[in-house]
Amino acid sequence: MDGTIFSVEEFAVNDGPGIRTTVFLKGCPLRCRWCHNPEGMAFAPQILKKKNGAEETCGERVSPQELADRLLRNERIFRMNEGGVTFTGGEPLAQPQFLFETMALLKGRVHIALETSAHAPPEIFRRAAELADLILIDCKSCDPEIHKKFTGVGNARILENLKYLCGSGAEFVARVPLIPSVNDTRENMSKLSEILRGAKSLRRVELLRYNKIAGAKYYMLGKTYSPGFDANKTPEIWDEFTKNGIPFIVL
Amino acid sequence: MNERIKNLKKYTTIDKLHRGLRRSAAEAGIAELPEDFRAAGMPFQERAGNMLSAFLDAEKPVFLPGEKIVFTRTIKDIPDYVTPSEWEEIKKAHFVHEKGEVFNISADYEGILQKGLEARRAEFERLAESSGGEKKIFAESVEKVLAALQRLIGRYADEAERLGLSEEAATLRAVRNDPPKTFRQALQLLRAVHFAIWASGSYHNTLGRIDQYLYPFYKSDIESGGLDGGGAFELLEEFFLACNRDSDLYVGMQQGDNGQSVVLGGRNLDGKSVYNELSEMALKASYELALIDPKINMRVDANTPLEIFEMGSRLTKIGLGFPQYSNDDIVIPSLVEKGYDPADACEYVVAACWEFIIPKCALDVPNIDAMSLADCVNECVADLETCEKFDDFYALVEREIRRRAAAMGERHKNIFMKPSPIMSAFSQGALESGRDISFGLKYNNYGVHGTGIATAVDSLAAIKKYCFDEKSVGKRELIDALKSDFEGNENLLKKLRQQAPKMGTDDDFADALAVRLLDSFAGAFKDMRNDRGGRYRVGTGSAMFYIAHGRGLGATADGRRKDEVLPANYSPSLFIKQKGPISVVKSFAKPHLKNVANGGPLTLEFDSSVFRNDESVRKLAMLVRTFIALGGHQLQLNTVDRDKLLDAKAHPEKYPHLIVRVWGWSGYFVELDECYQDHVIRRIEFAL
Repeated sequence: MDGTIFSVEEFAVNDGPGIRTTVFLKGCPLRCRWCHNPEGMAFAPQILKKKNGAEETCGERVSPQELADRLLRNERIFRMNEGGVTFTGGEPLAQPQFLFETMALLKGRVHIALETSAHAPPEIFRRAAELADLILIDCKSCDPEIHKKFTGVGNARILENLKYLCGSGAEFVARVPLIPSVNDTRENMSKLSEILRGAKSLRRVELLRYNKIAGAKYYMLGKTYSPGFDANKTPEIWDEFTKNGIPFIVL
Repeated sequence: MNERIKNLKKYTTIDKLHRGLRRSAAEAGIAELPEDFRAAGMPFQERAGNMLSAFLDAEKPVFLPGEKIVFTRTIKDIPDYVTPSEWEEIKKAHFVHEKGEVFNISADYEGILQKGLEARRAEFERLAESSGGEKKIFAESVEKVLAALQRLIGRYADEAERLGLSEEAATLRAVRNDPPKTFRQALQLLRAVHFAIWASGSYHNTLGRIDQYLYPFYKSDIESGGLDGGGAFELLEEFFLACNRDSDLYVGMQQGDNGQSVVLGGRNLDGKSVYNELSEMALKASYELALIDPKINMRVDANTPLEIFEMGSRLTKIGLGFPQYSNDDIVIPSLVEKGYDPADACEYVVAACWEFIIPKCALDVPNIDAMSLADCVNECVADLETCEKFDDFYALVEREIRRRAAAMGERHKNIFMKPSPIMSAFSQGALESGRDISFGLKYNNYGVHGTGIATAVDSLAAIKKYCFDEKSVGKRELIDALKSDFEGNENLLKKLRQQAPKMGTDDDFADALAVRLLDSFAGAFKDMRNDRGGRYRVGTGSAMFYIAHGRGLGATADGRRKDEVLPANYSPSLFIKQKGPISVVKSFAKPHLKNVANGGPLTLEFDSSVFRNDESVRKLAMLVRTFIALGGHQLQLNTVDRDKLLDAKAHPEKYPHLIVRVWGWSGYFVELDECYQDHVIRRIEFAL
C-alpha cells in the first residue's frame, strides 16, 4: 500500500545511532502545541506558501518498494557507520500498512529505528516493536490532564504501550521534548523514571531541547503559532534517572 | 592553556600591543636600497642577498612579556629589490606568476633543524670560494643571508641577556650556530627560520609536517626527562600563537590568506601510520587557541581510526574552518603517477590552500593558472545546433578544454621568478646545482585549478537530458534563453534550475558526466610539459576564481543566471535542492580523483546547531571517514551560524574574532571583502 511522506533527511544526527536517514511520514492524530513539523499534521499532500510567495507541494505519495529502494542506495554507508534508517512523522504508526511493508523490505539489511508518540492501537504498536530494531518513544507527559491539554489526546494508551515496551525486550529509547513549564518538572521526570525503572531493553532517556524556531513553518500553512507556553524560557533539566540506574542525555 | 599563554594570546591577538613596536622600512633606513642597487647595476641575485641581509640587520630584537619563543617583526614593509620600471621590462619578456616571488612551497625545515645554521652557511661559503661567475654570486648571496640571520639571533641573545632573561639567552645562543638539541631550541630555530623566510618577501610559507620533523627533539626531551608532555604542549602552543603575531603583515589575496599550513599524520613509505603524540598535541593546541594560524591539515586514509577523525571534528565544531583532510590512498599514488619518487610522494604536504606539494626538493607552481570549466561548456552552447547527438556536443567541449590547455602551455613559457637566497638555503638541490632555487629544483611541475566544476556538470546534464535525450527543450530555445539571461522564459529557468539533474544529489545521470568531464580535464594536460621539464597537474580547487569566473560568465544551462557566483572549490552549485551530505559525499567521490589531485576540497557547510553534543561530533567524524573510504581526495568542513554571520556583516565591531573558511584558508569574517562575506553566508547548507 502506498503511503505519504513529506521529507527524507540525510545525516539526521538526533534520530538514533550512527549515520542515519530519517523518513517523515505525513499525518498525525496528535496536535502538540510545540510541534516543529506542523506540515506533518495533515495526512494529505498540501501546498506550502513561502514568504517570497513561491508555492511548494508538501507531501509525496510513494510505494514501499520505491521508498525502500531509495533508502537502500545508502545501505553500505549505514552499515559502515553504525547507522540506518529512522521513521518519524507526523506519526508513522498512523500509516501502519505502508510502514510495515517498507520496514519488511529493509529488515535485516539496515538498522531500523521508529520514532513514535505511541498513540496507536496496541496490536499495531506491538507489531512495530517486532519489526523495528530500535523504538524511540516520545514520553510527552505522564500527567493525563497536561497531556490532553497540550497534545489534544490523553496518555492512557501511550502509557500502556510504553509499559508493554518496558517488558517486551525490544530495544528502546524514551524521549522527552523539554517544554518549558509544561513537562520539564521534577514530578514529571520522576514519574517517568518510575515507569522506566528496571526496563532491561531501555537504552537511555533523551531529553530534547525545545527548538525555538519551531514556530517558523506555521505561516507557510496559513496558520499562526500559539504554543500556549513561554517559548523563550529555558527548560529545566531534572535528573531523576541516574538514581534508578537509567542513563540519560540532553540532545 | 596556562596563564602565561593566555596572557601572551591577549597581548598579541586582542590588545595587539606588539604592533606598536613596528617601524616602516623608511624609518628603518632600508626603503631606498632597491634604487641604490639598481643604480649600482647590481644583479638581482646579489640584490636579493643584500636586501634580506639589510632587512635582518635592521630588525630590532624585542621580547614580549612572558614569551619563551621569540622573534617579532618590527619592520612592517619589505622593499621590493626589483624596481617598478624593471618589472615592466621583465613582464614584456617573461611570464610572471602573481608577484614573481618564489612562494607557496615548503622549505626543508627538517634539514636545517638537523644541520644547524653555521654548517649550512659554511657549505655556501665553500661553494663561493671554489666557484666563479654567477655561481659565486649565488653562493655569496645565500651565505650572506644566513650570516645575517645568525647575527640577528645573536643580537636577540644579547638583548635577552641584557634583560636578565637567561633561559631565552641560552636557547638563542644554542641555535645561533649549532643544530638544536632540545624541543624548545628546535621551535626557536624554526621560528627564526620561518621569520626570515617571511622577511624575504616570499609568501604562503607553509610549515609542513611539524609533527614529523619536530618529533625527534620532542622524543629525546621526554626520554631524557628534560621535558614532560605538559611542557612540550605549552611550547607548541606558544609556537602556534607566534604564527598569528605578524600574520597581518602576511597578506595574500585577502587578509588571512597567508598559507601558514601544517600537515599532521599520514603514512610513510612502508604504508605505516606516522600519526604521533605531537600530531595529537597540535590538534589540541589549535583547539584551545582557536586562532586562524596555523591552518591544520590532516593526512588520513581508509584505515585511519575513527578517533583521529573525532579529534579533527572537535576542531571543526568550534568553527575554525579546519582541519582539512587529505586522503593518502588517492594523493600518494596520484603524485607517483605524475613522476614523483614514491619516497618524495609520501612526504607530501599542503601548500597555502589545498595544493599538494612536496617539501624540500620541489619548485612546483601548483596554482599557476585556472580554467573555468563552466565557461568551456558555455562557450560551446552557441554551436549546439550543429550537434546531432550529445556526444557531438561533448566533443566540442573537450576540444575547447584542450584548446585552452594548449594556450596555457604557451602562456607559461619563460617564467621569471625573483631569486631567493633564503629559500635556496632551506631547500635540497640549489647548493648541489650551484643555482638559485628560482631556476628550478628536482620537481618543476605546474598546477591548474578547474573552476565551476559543478556548474559545468549540471549544464551538461541539463543539455543532455532536455536537448538530446528527451528533446523537450529546443537547441535554439536554450541558446536564446542563455543569451537573454532567461528574460521572458521563466519556465525554462525554473526547469533548468530546479528540476534538472544536479551533481551532489547522488544522481547517476549527472555524476556520470562529472566523471567524464574531469577525465577530459585531466586528459587535456596529461602529455603537456612546461619548459622547465615539469608536468601539468590539474585539480578541483577554485581559489578566488569562484567570484571572478562567475562575474564574467553569462547565464548557464544549469539555470544559473548571468554573473551569479560559482560554487567554491569542489562543491555543489549553490542553488540546488540538496538531498543531504550523504548524497553530496557519494556524488563527489565518483570521479577518478586520482587524475585531478592537484588539490581542491569538497567543502561541506554545517549549521552550528548540528553539533551540540559529542555524539554528533562522532557522527561528523564518520561522515568524513565515509568520504575518504569512498575514494574522496580532500575534504573540508565548516561550522557556521548564519544569524551570527548576518549580524557580523551589519555590526562588524561586535565580531572582531569571528573566524570563517574562505576558499582554502580561514580568516576573520569582518576583514573580508563583501563579495566573500556574501558567499560564505550563501553557501550554508545543512541544518537541523
